[in-house]
Amino acid sequence: MALSRRKLIDDSFSGLGIFSILLMSASLVVLLAPMVVRGLGAFCFRATVEHLRVQFNEFGVGNAEDTAADVARAAVARKPAFDMLVDFETELTDDFVREMKYREPLDELKKSLRELLGPLPGDDRDKMPLPRQWYGQTRWQRALVKQHDVLYRTEWVFQTRDEMGKKTFVPRVDDFRGTPIEPLFAYVEDHLEEMMQPRWTLHWRFLTQESIDSHFFGGIWPELLGTFYLATGTMLFAVPVGVIAAIYLTEYAGRGRFISLLRTCISTLAGVPSIVFGLFGLAFFINGIHVSDNKSVLAGSLTLALLVLPTVIRASEEAIRAVPRTYKEAALSVGAGRWRTIVTVVLPAALPGILTGIIISMGRAAGETAPIIFTAAVSVGKPLSLFQTLNEGTPALSWNIYNLATEHEAIDEIRHVQYGMVFALVFLVLTMSLAAILVRARISKKLRG
Amino acid sequence: MTRTFSRMTPTGLAGNRIAPDLFLSKRAGRVQRLASLAGQGFLFLVTSASTLAVLFIFYYITKDALPFFRLRGLREFFTSTHWYPSGDPAEFGVLAVFVGSGLVTLGAIVVAVPLGVSAAVCLSDVLPFSLRQVVKPVIEILAAIPSVAFGFFALVVFAPLLQDHGGAILAAAVWCIGTPLALVLILVLSEGIAVRMPPAHRSTVGLVVMIVTGATVVWGLYALSSRLSTVEVTSGVNALNASIILGIMALPTVVSVSEDALQAAGRDLREGAYALGATRAEVISRVVIPAASSGVLAAVILGVMRAVGETMVVWMASGNAAQIPSPWFNFLQPVRTVTATIAGDMGEADHFDPERYSALFALALCLLVFSFLCNVTSEWVVRRTRRKLG
Amino acid sequence: MARMRLAALMLGVMLLATPAAAQEKIVLDGSTTVGPIAKAFAGFYMRKHPDVNIVVSESGSGNGAKSLINSACDIANMSRFMKTKEFKAAVENGVTPVAHVVAMDGLAVIVHPANPVKALTVGQVRDIYKGKITNWRQLGGPNTRIVTISRDTNSGTYETFAKLVMKKEKIVAGTEYVNHNAQARQRVKDTTGAIGYVGLGFVNRSVKALEIDGIAPSNGTVASGVYPIARPLYMFTNGYPKLGSHVHAFVTLHLTRKGQEIISAVGYVPVTSY
Repeated sequence: MALSRRKLIDDSFSGLGIFSILLMSASLVVLLAPMVVRGLGAFCFRATVEHLRVQFNEFGVGNAEDTAADVARAAVARKPAFDMLVDFETELTDDFVREMKYREPLDELKKSLRELLGPLPGDDRDKMPLPRQWYGQTRWQRALVKQHDVLYRTEWVFQTRDEMGKKTFVPRVDDFRGTPIEPLFAYVEDHLEEMMQPRWTLHWRFLTQESIDSHFFGGIWPELLGTFYLATGTMLFAVPVGVIAAIYLTEYAGRGRFISLLRTCISTLAGVPSIVFGLFGLAFFINGIHVSDNKSVLAGSLTLALLVLPTVIRASEEAIRAVPRTYKEAALSVGAGRWRTIVTVVLPAALPGILTGIIISMGRAAGETAPIIFTAAVSVGKPLSLFQTLNEGTPALSWNIYNLATEHEAIDEIRHVQYGMVFALVFLVLTMSLAAILVRARISKKLRG
Repeated sequence: MTRTFSRMTPTGLAGNRIAPDLFLSKRAGRVQRLASLAGQGFLFLVTSASTLAVLFIFYYITKDALPFFRLRGLREFFTSTHWYPSGDPAEFGVLAVFVGSGLVTLGAIVVAVPLGVSAAVCLSDVLPFSLRQVVKPVIEILAAIPSVAFGFFALVVFAPLLQDHGGAILAAAVWCIGTPLALVLILVLSEGIAVRMPPAHRSTVGLVVMIVTGATVVWGLYALSSRLSTVEVTSGVNALNASIILGIMALPTVVSVSEDALQAAGRDLREGAYALGATRAEVISRVVIPAASSGVLAAVILGVMRAVGETMVVWMASGNAAQIPSPWFNFLQPVRTVTATIAGDMGEADHFDPERYSALFALALCLLVFSFLCNVTSEWVVRRTRRKLG
Repeated sequence: MARMRLAALMLGVMLLATPAAAQEKIVLDGSTTVGPIAKAFAGFYMRKHPDVNIVVSESGSGNGAKSLINSACDIANMSRFMKTKEFKAAVENGVTPVAHVVAMDGLAVIVHPANPVKALTVGQVRDIYKGKITNWRQLGGPNTRIVTISRDTNSGTYETFAKLVMKKEKIVAGTEYVNHNAQARQRVKDTTGAIGYVGLGFVNRSVKALEIDGIAPSNGTVASGVYPIARPLYMFTNGYPKLGSHVHAFVTLHLTRKGQEIISAVGYVPVTSY
């Protein structure tokens, strides 16, 4: 075959490889981009005056005078709209015929206005038991969506029975032509900024506040704390056992049949699917030996510890094996016993490698969901104290992401919380991976030089 | 004069003549030997306990799964497609669920293996060291992302995309997967046919074959993609969604294990081939890959294991319909996997309803056995390679 | 030095998470239909009594019953009555379930708002879910495949549907199963050809509730019993709770005016409306 054609084949081969790598990187970018961008939107967004009110009333954050001043400014802007509404309503109570005509569209309008601005004048606070009814939209982007809801009614137009209907937006103002409330719509359209006072905010308190009213307001602190407890608890159980096992396997074990059986067992453990761990944890730790009455962080940590044990053992084994023999021989030559050599020479030298394994396992434990579904995770709960972790379940980032994305009653309203949680989890796990990579790079530099 | 002793002295090395002050008394020596044995025993116990955990898992799951088979027998479980655990009477046929798992895994392999192996080849042989250091973190990041984040992406971002622009995505996927495969096909075919021709016509025949195959393949891809772009995706949560995301999840496993296998083939093999005048592509395709074939096979098996054992992605994005799609390769229909069934039913894990409880464990046992077999096979394959390469 | 400070900081963070005083805990588990009521009650009650910690899990009516039987929860939310099997197991475990009807609920059959079909009979819904009707065209609608959504089998909503609509016949194999009312609604909202069923409290503007046998589901039709698929929502306790205890106050909240306002706010029908 001609050399040119062979070269062509060669180049296309390399091109194929590079194409695969590019595709892989592209998929990573496509995966992470929405999470990062929208996740950051949970922290950094244009907050309205309602956000300030929520933070002040529910969490005591902010200055009383400043908040009052902002609220007053917004109230001044809202007054004309509210006045129009009140005037129209009083007009209607006197005119029975007109009331019949306008009652229903007016109620719908008021409902949309309530979602946008919060309680309207004349609303009985006593009849609004849920916190989500006490405030309008806290995020400017959602406020724009709700403004659209106020200005337009969604109607489905069916041309024929053979086709799905088409969505059309009918301006609500058409329902109220010739009434005193007609200018309200133009007012809401033009003056929304003054009514809501949006301002760019860096809402880092998202990470430290508890959630109120099923995550409508507030933050993700209980979930963060829960993930932290689970990850630390896992390592508390997995690290001692794993490191000891690694020491035994590298230093003391021979090459007998029993030892290779042990090794097979460890690699089998690594291959067990995570949901089977969850089932085992539920059936054994909770229903079997009753480490706790019901779900608890303890049971979850034990289950997760089993999951990450093979990784810890393998990483520790590799780290210990990577310690140059000269270290050990030097220690032995000055008369150190085997155990003392291990403790004072080998382990410290292998520590960075073991640490890498620990950090990676911690990241894995923080991100796993299937083992904790029925052993540790609850959907709604308060942040636990250290003592309570022994017997109580906790919200956790991984489980609550699933919960909020599928089982929440107002999934579309709290999208920003979902993205915020995903971002927090991915950020946490990737930071830990980065730390592990850095530690490993430092070792390889040290061992090389 | 009493003999002094220190804990740091070795026991029973050279005779007393060399350094009489450094040796322990017999009692101290015995004590230290006992202590070291005890310590070793303790280490051994801890190690065995941790490894026994897996045996314990097997035992526990089997123990709770057997009552189901004793009550209901094997036939209905493995051959019936009716999964109605709370029906009246209850039916526990998991064939549809197994098929669901199989379909999704098949899709994941189709996505992960070609992409993964070519990426591994590129990493081990084509890219220079500096670029390799840039690409490896990409793979590690992909491996580190939690599965629930993948599931979230599949449900919230990918499913609406599939539903609204399903046809376009399918067409793009055809081009993405088809172009590299087409390239390989063209080259292999043209080379294979040209080699059999007498030397005079070899180049022209090769060129003609290349053009002809190229044209047919491009036309075929175009026809397929335009047909697919008219497909209406009724529901964004289906087997295709889960397969693609699972494939991306299995990718790091396939890439890293394949890369290890390719590296293990050794420089000598490569240098020998280069010395004979082969181009890089020929070295890779005719020398390295065949030498590392068992390692690549092991990588595929591990990828299968990863895809089968994944829960959150399939629970959120596969639709959870216990059916065999009609026709069986219709990836646009919802399916149900073993892991999602276990996760969904796990709350029922109490001795309350013994049939349902053990049915769950029976499913878990099947999953466990399958993962174990995959694990054992891949290890055996790797050991065979090592023995072959010496 | 810095390491010690970091450790002290972490320890401080963990201890700060300690709540101030000892808390009494009430654990609820069970139905996702009753879930919004339970969570709203919990939020309201915890505001009034900050020393009480109320935890609500929503894992399905079946699991709620099981938790009560195992004494793993104080109150089981269920959208169906306890089965005889469950009663028997409870008594064997020394638990006496007592039912409190907290609200009325209707099972709304929902479709996508773009679907021109407005009304069906119970028989037609049954045929759809049995797999006999597979395309909306067969019901006078557009030529779109019907995507059936059902609740998973540990759900009281599913049991009610199976009893009142399916009349114990089997649901077709290609049905998508979801774990929660909100998930069912979300699937229907996102898929034009979908049909599903949810508790009345979960119907909002993003989906359309069909008229069943000519009756539209609403608070009025459910309260008066005219709507064919209506049911009570229960909270089960182990025996009648001690008078004056927090659990007692919680399960009698629905009898107070405030409780009924909460129930209406969440979208269900208070018991005193009928």
